[in-house]
Amino acid sequence: MFDFIRGPLLWVAFIVFFGGLVFQLLQFFTLTRKKERLFLSVHGKTKGRWSIESMRQWFESLLTTIIGTHPMMTILTLIFHCCLFVTPIFLLAHNILLDESWGISIWSFSESTTDILTVVLLVCGALFLLRRIFVRRVRAITTASDYLILFIIVAPFLSGYMAYHQWFHYKAILFAHILAGEVMLIVAPFTKLGHMLFFFLYRFLIGSEYSFGQGTRSW
Amino acid sequence: MAEHGEKPIDRERIKAFLERNKGKMKRLLSHCVHCSICAESCFLYMGHDKDPRYMPSYKAINSLGKLYKKKGKVDRDFLERIKTMVWRDCVLCRRCYCPIGVDIPSMIALGRTICRSQGVYPNFDESDQKESWL
Ligand code: HEM
Ligand code: HEM
Ligand code: SF4
Ligand code: SF4
Repeated sequence: MFDFIRGPLLWVAFIVFFGGLVFQLLQFFTLTRKKERLFLSVHGKTKGRWSIESMRQWFESLLTTIIGTHPMMTILTLIFHCCLFVTPIFLLAHNILLDESWGISIWSFSESTTDILTVVLLVCGALFLLRRIFVRRVRAITTASDYLILFIIVAPFLSGYMAYHQWFHYKAILFAHILAGEVMLIVAPFTKLGHMLFFFLYRFLIGSEYSFGQGTRSW
Repeated sequence: MAEHGEKPIDRERIKAFLERNKGKMKRLLSHCVHCSICAESCFLYMGHDKDPRYMPSYKAINSLGKLYKKKGKVDRDFLERIKTMVWRDCVLCRRCYCPIGVDIPSMIALGRTICRSQGVYPNFDESDQKESWL
């Protein structure tokens, strides 16, 4: 069983994850067409590319995003997403496995650094959970799947932390950790986690008042 | 509307609307992370004591979202219930801001189209005194 989740299932997880994202990307390009530019984005610059004036304009336009309207939430979600992304990639244990299996060696944080990042992510996850339970407007649109997805995201971090600190039965926890990581990778392209790709497509490629990019495509 | 009350719902027609737009709409519905950040950008939410029922995402999820969930198998009662949501609780002003880029007004607009295709839309006759449209 252990060999199965370390071998074939790991391949399945990676293939579904990357294949799913590529599939979604291709679908997006077949569903949208290039159009004349209808919108002039509030984030577009009118002055020269790197002039002081253009930088000022750009920073000012950022205040029309959630940076200006929800500063606390911006900080929380920024920390959450940075940890979410950076921790597993530059994790020593992962990269040793990567090196052993495929001979790819990438730079890693020290173990104490990732340990802290993991705790920070778990704290952010807990704050999201509290928000979901106690803030009325978040509760109003929360469904069971929101709790499930939050759990799917947090589970690899919680189990990874428990494995590192050798809590309970190490082998069992590691088993749970790998399985949790694989589940997360498999569901990501097809659930709301797909926003990791579609954020860029919606905000940069689709034309709208709020577009960060040229916004030359439309549905 | 009284004059449409007896007409049966054309579910095939509703399904056709849902089917034709699903590439975009199902993605928007699934990529909404239910974070409620869009709330304050809607003046109707702000103007109703921050009642969550006026939140952009709430209106889209509970109108078009439900239509997709039920795969178009809805009755007139259901359409009458979402009627206020898509016509009165949202005026399609396009002011709502979503950090991920979920285009809420386009979802509510499709909800309207589907309602109208079944004769469910507001009229301002004096006879229609069931609810305030302002
Ligand atoms: C799918 C394949 C995966 C494998 C084979 C794997 C394997 C491992 C192993 C062997 C450890 C070390 C445990 C120890 O130190 O004894 C570990 C730690 C960890 N993993 Fe994974 N992992 C996987 C996926 C993930 C994913 C997807 C995430 C997060 C999104 C993740 C997050 C972590 C974290 C945060 C730790 C360490 C926590 C700490 O040091 O405090 N892992 N993983
Ligand atoms: C890289 C670009 C990404 C952007 C711009 C982005 C943006 C956002 C935004 C604006 C929110 C809503 C605010 C909030 O609830 O925190 C959110 C929530 C969330 N994101 Fe991302 N995200 C990105 C990538 C990812 C990735 C890679 C993952 C996971 C693999 C992820 C997982 C989540 C989760 C689980 C939530 C919901 C938290 C909750 O339950 O409220 N995001 N994201
Ligand atoms: S529409 Fe956007 S801002 Fe509103 S709840 Fe959904 S993801 Fe959040
Ligand atoms: S389009 Fe509708 S939901 Fe969006 S801000 Fe206007 S009234 Fe509110």
